[in-house]
Amino acid sequence: MNLLAVGCSHRTTPVAVRERLGFREDQLPRALDALTSRLDCEAVILSTCNRVEMYVGRVLDHPTRSTALLDGDALAGFLAEFHSLPIEEVRPHLYVYHNADAVRHLFRVAASLDSLIVGEGQIAGQVKTAYEMGQKCAGPGPMLHALFPHARRVAKRVRTETGISRGHVSVSSAAVDYVRQVFDHFGDKTILVIGAGKMGELTLRHLRRLEPRRILVANRSPEKAASVARGCGGEAVPWERLDEMLARADIVLSTTGAPEPIVTLERYRRIAAQRDGGPLVILDIAVPRDFDPRIHDGETTCLFNIDDLKRIQEATLADRRKHIAPAEAVVEQETQRFLKEWRRRRNGPVIERLTQDLEAKREDVVRNLFARLNGRLTEGDRKFIEYAFVKLQNQFLHGPISALTEDQPADASGHTLLDALRKLFRLRE
Amino acid sequence: MYGISLVCFATSYTAALGLEVWCQFRPRRILYFLGLLFGAAGLATQSVYLAFQRPVGWMLILAWVLAIFYLYGALHYQRLAWGVFVLPVILGLLGLSLLFGPEADQLSLPDASFWGEVHAALLLLAAVGVCVGLCASLMYLFRAWQLRAKTLPGRGLRLPSLERLEQMNRRAIDWSFPLLTAGVVIGLFLMIQHPLTAWTDPRVLSTAVLWLTFLLMVVLRYGWRLRGRLVALLTIVAFLLLVCCLVLGHSLRGGAT
Repeated sequence: MNLLAVGCSHRTTPVAVRERLGFREDQLPRALDALTSRLDCEAVILSTCNRVEMYVGRVLDHPTRSTALLDGDALAGFLAEFHSLPIEEVRPHLYVYHNADAVRHLFRVAASLDSLIVGEGQIAGQVKTAYEMGQKCAGPGPMLHALFPHARRVAKRVRTETGISRGHVSVSSAAVDYVRQVFDHFGDKTILVIGAGKMGELTLRHLRRLEPRRILVANRSPEKAASVARGCGGEAVPWERLDEMLARADIVLSTTGAPEPIVTLERYRRIAAQRDGGPLVILDIAVPRDFDPRIHDGETTCLFNIDDLKRIQEATLADRRKHIAPAEAVVEQETQRFLKEWRRRRNGPVIERLTQDLEAKREDVVRNLFARLNGRLTEGDRKFIEYAFVKLQNQFLHGPISALTEDQPADASGHTLLDALRKLFRLRE
Repeated sequence: MYGISLVCFATSYTAALGLEVWCQFRPRRILYFLGLLFGAAGLATQSVYLAFQRPVGWMLILAWVLAIFYLYGALHYQRLAWGVFVLPVILGLLGLSLLFGPEADQLSLPDASFWGEVHAALLLLAAVGVCVGLCASLMYLFRAWQLRAKTLPGRGLRLPSLERLEQMNRRAIDWSFPLLTAGVVIGLFLMIQHPLTAWTDPRVLSTAVLWLTFLLMVVLRYGWRLRGRLVALLTIVAFLLLVCCLVLGHSLRGGAT
């Protein structure tokens, strides 16, 4: 196996460098083409906002046109040249993984163990997309065709067998968790959006998935209210009718930039007196806060502010950290499984030829022996002799086959044990 | 009765409760299924016990209906702490039945006629509604406490939403009140026709108080549009009155046998 993973990630490289080394989607076909033809190798490029990685491989017993060595420097040179950067600027930021370490690294990446937010689900999809893009450009060969689908299976196994992807890590999605503690069905619910902050938009996107009956948008600026309402399929309401809308709403999402609370305790008491529906959930994600925290009673009014939502985020991350060790164990197990399968796949035909060759020779020798001793052997003697030769053949093959199933790196001249066996036993291609 | 006693199924329910609590803090599929298995075993043995046991006790029948309710909930809401609230009520009823003896809570019909049986069936169904309302109320109060304390979602006991629990309690009251009213009215007619029981009998009085409590709940719920904690507390009071109806008469008459 000659597999290499070279790249940089959020762990090793500042964003200012990463953004210069990244590949845009339209650049990828050209980059893959240049990489595979320059180094005569198979390749997949994974380029996301948090990492830029090149996975390249060359099957050792395949004849190669290129004399270029497949190493970190060659790939650093390619990366620097492609982005028109001096290699001295690029090389210090790159990490290089060889063979088993490269396999392990890809599995860790796909399983989101190397992500900025451990357990996030996006990276598995990005790995899949990178492989599919590689396939379109004829980048992957037999090695990467085996490796990338296996990485996808590892990601799935880690996700299902450990709790690494459990819970919500974004503030906006955590808000939905709180809402679900109070409400069960949303087809009859009204959401009132106050303000038009960026975080509010994200949270509203999550709340819209609950399919509420109605979305109302109130903003000091009628134009902004209309714009937000258009974006979320809601209706704009005048700011002056805020109290009336608060009395009607079931869920309130507040994200104004007001310097003072817009709903004080006294004002809310007047609003609550007008309410005749069920409980009201207020998601106050504005800083400074829009609602007086004293209005929270946990029954008729449930107020959750940005700190409460962040507590979910922190708790989820803490929970996920507990699952890192079991996830790493799965990755290690799968790495060993992949390497074993790869060796078996690569060496299988050679082992088969070797076995067939020796079997033919054994049968020939035994046949000659039996012809020579014809009439002087009982049936029991014949069986014993046949058994003894089979045993000798198996003992003879045991050493070479065991050696083949262990990882055998190529020597300095690029020769492997497989080449040696072919020569020693004069195996035909 | 194949050697089945009340202790057999009470032990099964206790084991199911223990496993349910354990499962809430260490969620494992095996614990859930074991809990379910013990609950089902308890229900099966209780069914056999009730089929052969005479006289039949009110509280045993109530506990049996609630055990069915528990199994339905445990299967339907697999990840929720359903049993943590329902199983103690079942065990409480079994404990009272054991405490006051099998004759204490036997079905005493004012009249063994068809209407006497209808009266008993209606009161039993109303009592089931009260018990379901009690479980919903206990869960509601716990959920409200979790929300007040801003407990992180998914931490502590997992319960249905506040809205679902309020709805469950409301439905239990909506079903129980007409059944209880019809049962009480039939009982009144039977008492007028065959005055076997005195009007001052503690069971008659406590049933009257239970009906008035229900009336108050319905008036508060629909007249004053009251919801939430107060309704939940009143449901708990109604359950306590129901227990009084079941045991008070006997204990005032001379204690357990």
